[in-house]
Amino acid sequence: MNEELDSQLSAMFDDELPAAECELLARRLSRDEGLKARWGRYALIGAVIRAERGVVLQSSLAGRVNAALTHEPLLASGSGAARWSVSPWMRMVSGAGVAAGVAALSILWLRAHALAPSGAAVMSVASVAAPAAAAQGGAGGASDSYVVPPASAQPVTPMPPTQLADYVVAHSAYSWPISGGSLLSSLMVSEAGSLSAPAPSHRRAAGHGHATRHPH
Amino acid sequence: MAMRRAIRTSERLGAWAVLWVFGGAVALAGQPAQWLERMNHALTTLDYEGTFAHWDGGRVQMLRIIHRLKNGVVSERLVSLDGSGREFIRTGSDLTCYLPDKREVLVEHIPSKRSLIGTVPILNKETTRFYALHEGAQERIDQHLTRLITVMPRDQYRYGYRLWIDRAGMPLKIQLWDARHGGRVIEQIVFATLRIDRNIPNSAFQPHLSTAGYRWLRTQSPPAQKNSGLVWHALWLPPGFHMATHVAQSMPGAIGPVEHLVYTDGLASVSVFVARPAHAHAHPPAVESAHMGASYVFSTFVDGHRVTAVGEAPARTVRSIAVSVRARRASYSALPGGPFAHAVPPP
Repeated sequence: MNEELDSQLSAMFDDELPAAECELLARRLSRDEGLKARWGRYALIGAVIRAERGVVLQSSLAGRVNAALTHEPLLASGSGAARWSVSPWMRMVSGAGVAAGVAALSILWLRAHALAPSGAAVMSVASVAAPAAAAQGGAGGASDSYVVPPASAQPVTPMPPTQLADYVVAHSAYSWPISGGSLLSSLMVSEAGSLSAPAPSHRRAAGHGHATRHPH
Repeated sequence: MAMRRAIRTSERLGAWAVLWVFGGAVALAGQPAQWLERMNHALTTLDYEGTFAHWDGGRVQMLRIIHRLKNGVVSERLVSLDGSGREFIRTGSDLTCYLPDKREVLVEHIPSKRSLIGTVPILNKETTRFYALHEGAQERIDQHLTRLITVMPRDQYRYGYRLWIDRAGMPLKIQLWDARHGGRVIEQIVFATLRIDRNIPNSAFQPHLSTAGYRWLRTQSPPAQKNSGLVWHALWLPPGFHMATHVAQSMPGAIGPVEHLVYTDGLASVSVFVARPAHAHAHPPAVESAHMGASYVFSTFVDGHRVTAVGEAPARTVRSIAVSVRARRASYSALPGGPFAHAVPPP
């Protein structure tokens, strides 16, 4: 049952839950403290992920949330909470890829961060403690409406792109050949102009990794 | 003419492939599973060259691929036919990415020492608990006879596939689709030409561009070190997923070895990497995520370690596994398919 509820919550956040189910879930959410706490945790995670441009709650989801919670306690406010973003999950098209696609990954990951305004060069909030704080806030808040929390101006430390590339390469060795083949080709799918190699500084900064020049 | 010749070659090899692959095949999961086994074998062991269109997110690109397995060493070359001039050449465990638009060459190392055959999934009774396999009608793709095989997920935790497989076992058309959205196609690959050729020369794996003046970048990693005594595991796994591999390997940007856990249901796989960052963070570490065609990446922090999950599964699946990862002392027995799987609901 919990699994089903979690699945529905997650779908709601992904804007993938049918309207009728959404309404039922919203009603349950308004009277179930445990579920509300879980919602708070999801909210924060979602906010953190979506906050690359820190704006407002996604409109359709915002409507549902507001409809459900207009008279309910505050869910996800509190210090350190992130803003919602208009953008959906970062959909950085690239593909799957066997090793080749992987290089693209690091590149596209970089690009995602580059898209953020200078004041929030990377996602606005992301401390590990945030979900717990959100959950507590969700259970014990006292506001009568949903409040979009303010964005944090504090910068965060992103994963080095080369590290991500290494992970994807390592993972591709365990993928189904079909997935691997798809990944291979996805690298090429990215626009030529968007493809840029990780900066040498990133590679050198990445601990044991380092860039070397090869003779031609 | 060339296509007809290629088809004839393909059909001859198809008969060979059937004999080769199914000498010891298990009929447990029926004919569709055998088609998939045949395809896996063909993709990883046949030598072939072809051009294909890759559709992803509304964009289409034409690419050329050359694949060869010779003396146990895999060589692959992928070339963009749409003007960027990019080429990716893999020889054994080295992948070289030529980026003429950036005048750079990236060299990446593939850490796994497993053979390609080792990547072929096991299709058995367990797999069919989570995927329904259907054998469809015969269809022609560019006058090439294929069989449509549908891999349909039984729940929302995994994606499905539609594969048009020819008699040699090569998938001439592949669709990745999401069952939650009425079968929405996420990604598609269609071969325009495909030729099985057992005599692909070494020269076919040389880049067709001059790298004079290019900057070369190579990541080099030291050998793996002993781990910290902590054993990491996922508290929650989707039904049917189990730990297939647990290795520690050195990677750039981490103190000590990076734990690499691989969870799979037989077809889909999710890797979880746990690393202790090499540098103390001046700012809170970022929680990050990205979609890459069929794959999704989610990264978060747990107890001072960066936990990153990568997998060709819906975002919800990858994310839920990642946020459930925890550590315990090594003395506590661990786990392939272990005591924690399914113990708690998804976080």
